[in-house]
Amino acid sequence: MVKVNQGSPQHWALRTLGVALIALVVVWVPTQMSTSRIGQFSDAFVLIIAAMSLNLVLGFTGQISIGHSAFFGIGGYTAAILIKDHGWSPGYTFYAAAVIAFVVGCLIALPALRIKGIYLALVTLAVAVLFPTLVKWKKLAWLTDGAKGIDSVRYDEIPVWPILGELKGRDGRAVFAYWLAFVLLVITYLVCRGLVKSRFGRSLVAIRDNETAAAVMGVNLTVTKVLVFGASAALCALAGVLSTLRTGVITPEGQYVTLLGSIVFLLIMVVGGAGTLWGPIVGGLVYVWLDNTTRGFGSESDGVIGFLFGWSDQSPATLILGLALVIIMFAAPYGLVGLIKRLWAKVVIVVPKPAGTSLPTTGH
Amino acid sequence: MSETASPSSRENLLDVSGVTVTFGGIVALDGLSFAIKPGQICGLIGPNGAGKTTMFNVVSRIYQPSSGSVVFDGKDLLSVPAHEIAHLGIARTFQNLALFPTMSLLENVMVGAHSQGKIGFVRSILRIGAARENRELRDWSGDLLTQLGLGPLMFRPAMGLPFGTLKRLEIARALAARPRFLLMDEPAAGLTHAEVDELGDTVVSIREQFDLTVLLVEHHMSMVMKISDHVVAMEFGRKISEGTPSFVQNDPKVVQAYLGVDA
Repeated sequence: MVKVNQGSPQHWALRTLGVALIALVVVWVPTQMSTSRIGQFSDAFVLIIAAMSLNLVLGFTGQISIGHSAFFGIGGYTAAILIKDHGWSPGYTFYAAAVIAFVVGCLIALPALRIKGIYLALVTLAVAVLFPTLVKWKKLAWLTDGAKGIDSVRYDEIPVWPILGELKGRDGRAVFAYWLAFVLLVITYLVCRGLVKSRFGRSLVAIRDNETAAAVMGVNLTVTKVLVFGASAALCALAGVLSTLRTGVITPEGQYVTLLGSIVFLLIMVVGGAGTLWGPIVGGLVYVWLDNTTRGFGSESDGVIGFLFGWSDQSPATLILGLALVIIMFAAPYGLVGLIKRLWAKVVIVVPKPAGTSLPTTGH
Repeated sequence: MSETASPSSRENLLDVSGVTVTFGGIVALDGLSFAIKPGQICGLIGPNGAGKTTMFNVVSRIYQPSSGSVVFDGKDLLSVPAHEIAHLGIARTFQNLALFPTMSLLENVMVGAHSQGKIGFVRSILRIGAARENRELRDWSGDLLTQLGLGPLMFRPAMGLPFGTLKRLEIARALAARPRFLLMDEPAAGLTHAEVDELGDTVVSIREQFDLTVLLVEHHMSMVMKISDHVVAMEFGRKISEGTPSFVQNDPKVVQAYLGVDA
């Protein structure tokens, strides 16, 4: 076990090494891997952004929301409608979607000012259930195209980004979608990090831990909850836009637009580690990997899986995915990030800088 | 302690008059009136259920009284929302601890300093001045923790630490708001004898150092009588006696309320 002082050269070296490793993987994926793999990573990035947005509201502030699939859908539909009906360039729809979702998110925060816990969960559940129904509503069909949804939502031509150079064809689109998703992931991460590691972020956790005490310390509960819901909705809408641009399609029953989407975001957040900045990232990568791996398991598989599940006509994929997630939660009750932190503390301990000006702190 | 000890010409810092609070049919406070002068330590005593904590929660805007007025430094407190109380310079500690258990001691105190910062939603996203403010609040909070003897524990989560330690953390967190007026709700409850003595000294010394006025709700009679300048005794939501510690201590009505002596 090594002790490293926060802010020391060794600490900076460790951090630089970490960033370099991540950068290596991030570049490795689109340059060395197959198009379908690249697509899986893009899918993971979309889910990570959505889970990060949920994490702000639920993980940090403790306000249960099962309605985030609606924000995802708002993003997707905003992009689809603006591109197809109004001829917007796809890039600008991110801004529009974020603004619209921010406003809707602030409105949905209003019940959270009065009700808590399981009751708030029910209200947001209603939002998740309502959204697809609303989209399919006959009187809104002029806008949403009803149950059949909107298709061919995409960049007409792949934009040329300086470093990437010119990308062409289906493979080129996958690479571009990957980088677009990555840039938005970084932006989302930085927004979340900025919010969390500030006076505003401390007031979020204070609300989660003890609302009455937070108010006594001067935290304006109303404004804080409304803003964090708004920010969360806006980020989740970015994930929705991204998903729609990547697949080119959005339908009321589409992936992550229904209640199922909210459950997936929740799952990723909890598996990765609720209330941690890296939780959704780890959770999202693990979830997408597990989902794609288990999907390949047919009932005719050989070996252990064939032996265990061969009797069934159904694919065991969902069951195995579920089991794997249960095992993860059993081994890492505070999420994978909690587990990683615990193991990492056996190797390196980062000693925080003592706080204070006058007197030296003792105890090290 | 006589009235001449503090300049009686100065206005009252807190003026409570005719405050009535009812929960359903139960009258928790019944037309309570008292005043605190700047710089005083005012003890609020009374048997269990006398309404001390209710009074407390009225001043910190958790309960809304059905009638009466509370004036702090010339301002009508009852028209101020709960989260503005800290900005006016009023801080409090809680009887049964209301800490943020998942946060470290340092972060707890930094939340206590919330009213001292100004980085909000937009500036935290854009990171304008956030790092600087974090450093300032962090140092200020660290100094307070060190002063209250909690320095070595500052990076530990509040969860799972001994009760006496957490009581001191409550005081540090309240002081972080740089209050003028500190409300302490039974700070000695659950402490050992030695800890109670130490607490009395702490209250007196922080009063001097931070130029505080203190409202102290306490069961621990010897501590209240030792450190208070002024004592208000309550029973069944009413004031039954008020004055210097020695006066209140010997008031037959107070003796009766505590011992239940039948006249």
